[in-house]
Amino acid sequence: MSHSSQSHAPASDPAVLLDGVTKKFGAHLAVSDLVLEIPRGSIYGLLGPNGSGKTTTLRMIMGILRPDRGSVTLLGEDTNGSARRRVGYLPEERGVYKRMKVIEHLEFLGEIRGMTRPIARQRAMTWLERLGLAEWAGKKVEDLSKGMQQKVQFIGTVLHDPELLILDEPFSGLDPINQDVLEEIVRDFHTRGTTVVFSTHLMDQAERLCESVCLISKAEKVLDGNLMEIKRRERSGAVALDYEGDDEWLDGSGVEAVERTSSGVRVRLRDGEDPQVLLQRAMSAGVTIRRFEIVEPTLHEVFVRHVGEAAAAEAGLPSGYEGMGGAA
Amino acid sequence: MAVIRREYLQRVRSKWFVFSTVAGPLFMIAIFAVPVLLGLRDDADERGIVILDRTGVLYESVASRLGEALEVERVAVDESVLSALEDRLQSGNIAGFLVLDTGTLSAGRAVYRGLETPSALRRVLIRQAVVESALEVRLADASDAAGVRALLDGGQVEYQSLLGESSGEDDPTTALATGFAGGFLLYMTLLIYGIQVMRAVLEEKTTRIVEIVISVVRPGQLMLGKILGVGAVGLTQLGIWAVSVVLLLTFGLPSVVAARPELLELQNATEFIPRAGELALFLLFFVLGYFLYSSLYAAVAAMCSSDEEAQHTQMPVTILLVVPMMVLLPIMENPDGPLGTWLSLVPFFAPILMFPRFMAGAPLWQVGLSLVLMVVAIVVVAWVAGRIYRVGILMQGKRPTLPEIVRWVRQA
Repeated sequence: MSHSSQSHAPASDPAVLLDGVTKKFGAHLAVSDLVLEIPRGSIYGLLGPNGSGKTTTLRMIMGILRPDRGSVTLLGEDTNGSARRRVGYLPEERGVYKRMKVIEHLEFLGEIRGMTRPIARQRAMTWLERLGLAEWAGKKVEDLSKGMQQKVQFIGTVLHDPELLILDEPFSGLDPINQDVLEEIVRDFHTRGTTVVFSTHLMDQAERLCESVCLISKAEKVLDGNLMEIKRRERSGAVALDYEGDDEWLDGSGVEAVERTSSGVRVRLRDGEDPQVLLQRAMSAGVTIRRFEIVEPTLHEVFVRHVGEAAAAEAGLPSGYEGMGGAA
Repeated sequence: MAVIRREYLQRVRSKWFVFSTVAGPLFMIAIFAVPVLLGLRDDADERGIVILDRTGVLYESVASRLGEALEVERVAVDESVLSALEDRLQSGNIAGFLVLDTGTLSAGRAVYRGLETPSALRRVLIRQAVVESALEVRLADASDAAGVRALLDGGQVEYQSLLGESSGEDDPTTALATGFAGGFLLYMTLLIYGIQVMRAVLEEKTTRIVEIVISVVRPGQLMLGKILGVGAVGLTQLGIWAVSVVLLLTFGLPSVVAARPELLELQNATEFIPRAGELALFLLFFVLGYFLYSSLYAAVAAMCSSDEEAQHTQMPVTILLVVPMMVLLPIMENPDGPLGTWLSLVPFFAPILMFPRFMAGAPLWQVGLSLVLMVVAIVVVAWVAGRIYRVGILMQGKRPTLPEIVRWVRQA
């Protein structure tokens, strides 16, 4: 785990701090002794297969569920305080008041977070205009298409300009256009200094967006930290080479395995071997090198290495389990 | 609080609310008014009737009884009178004529001839006048006329109780009827608004909006907000009804009676306007009963994931409401019997049973005790329901079993 931000000034105390958090539902252990520190201003990914405890973790951060053991600190307060109002929470099961008018629905969501109605209304209109829904403000939510309802849900999440965004599987069920809309909103808030936490079981998405991640599997943390650091740490000594010329230089000390790809080879070096040695050998053998790359593992590979193929395969499978509210 | 406001406005603005607020009393009025109006329709007939009195003693009495409602005319009894009357009838000069003879005096029989049968209301009026007059004349020989009159007016019984509280000269049927109507109204409103709370909670749960709301608002606050919001709607509706009934009876009724003197009997309806104290107690029973039942209905909704499921699960709660309704009639026959006394103290039955019993003159200490017991029950029920609500509201999938619910209550 990373403690890098602990030495910083109080202003940069973590946005979220989980200390030894455990939650059981009956006999089922949903989250086990989880220690987590989400740095302020980061985009943080909570990754893991379905049923690994992501939703339960996020719900405990929001104070919706109480941990059986351990403590949760949200924006420097416990979850009973007003800190929850400064968070934009988008649950996995995203709801709307279908029979309310769009603008009234948004006003209500603003109001329960302590905004006055006129300000909530004004912000809501600004957002509706930005997302091209202005003329729908007076319509009932149920009259909107599913895609438009999703946009209304985004607006409801960010309306009060939260310090922290907590999004549970935000991209699931979105059409491609709304995926882009949401990604843009997330990046936009990030550049303004908002902390963004989201859970996903889609590793490539996390890889694209996150600065820091936490991998969890079967209620337990597998690893966490800065994504770049993780990748560097998890580097496997693989080198990708595209070249023209003969192959004899490939056989030599330090090479563990060679795999042909469409354009060249992928070489796996023994532990501790310097990739530069391989490059020199190729050059002195007189081959023309088009590409030389020290391959960093994908998150998926890192995940597989830590939890095994079976669990990783599960991660790609859709499952309703976490939507069950963690019921055992 | 925003939750209460939203719930209240959503509902008050809904078509359902406007409809039921307006249609409810209209419907009730219609039940009484339609037959009367139907009967009145051809009473637009302003023509009077002629009374042919062969007995020579009945006319004054019958005419004074009918005179308020329709114009009467006396004709002399001679040979040609019948054919003359037939002519007047044919020419549309009179509505009809009533023949009184010895059969009237001896058995209350009389003949009415008209172009068409008079309206129901008129028929009642005529028959009553004839029969009462005949009785009066027959009894007049034996005793004094004033005494007979009093007897005919229904008499009067003075009630003197040994316990000495109230020597009720007033008619107990009015209080009983008001009590019964109040009990019934409590049953209806508690059921309707309890179900409303259930639907409100269920809607939030099934649309999943609830998770967003309880990420900011405590579940207990949300549940309370729902209950208060819907409850405020209920009070608004009851208020509108009460005000319109009072307005109707104090302003509308006299003008109706002035226009149609034969409807004088309706004037008695003002006796049904409850006094302020009774109204306050009614509202108190509504509010307490509502808190009790709406918490139960909220808990039921939190356990369920669909309307169908909720329909089944709410049965035990609804039965709690139906039981007192079923025993209300037998109890009203003997309001202070052991069954009535004990059942009306049970908090779940108290609103529907104790209010009518109060109207029937139940001891005040029992009314007070039932109120206290209800408050205690509310605290307990709200505590349990709140816990069920907190756990249940996030659960999806199958309905929990009883042991599971017990576990929720313990752990939450």
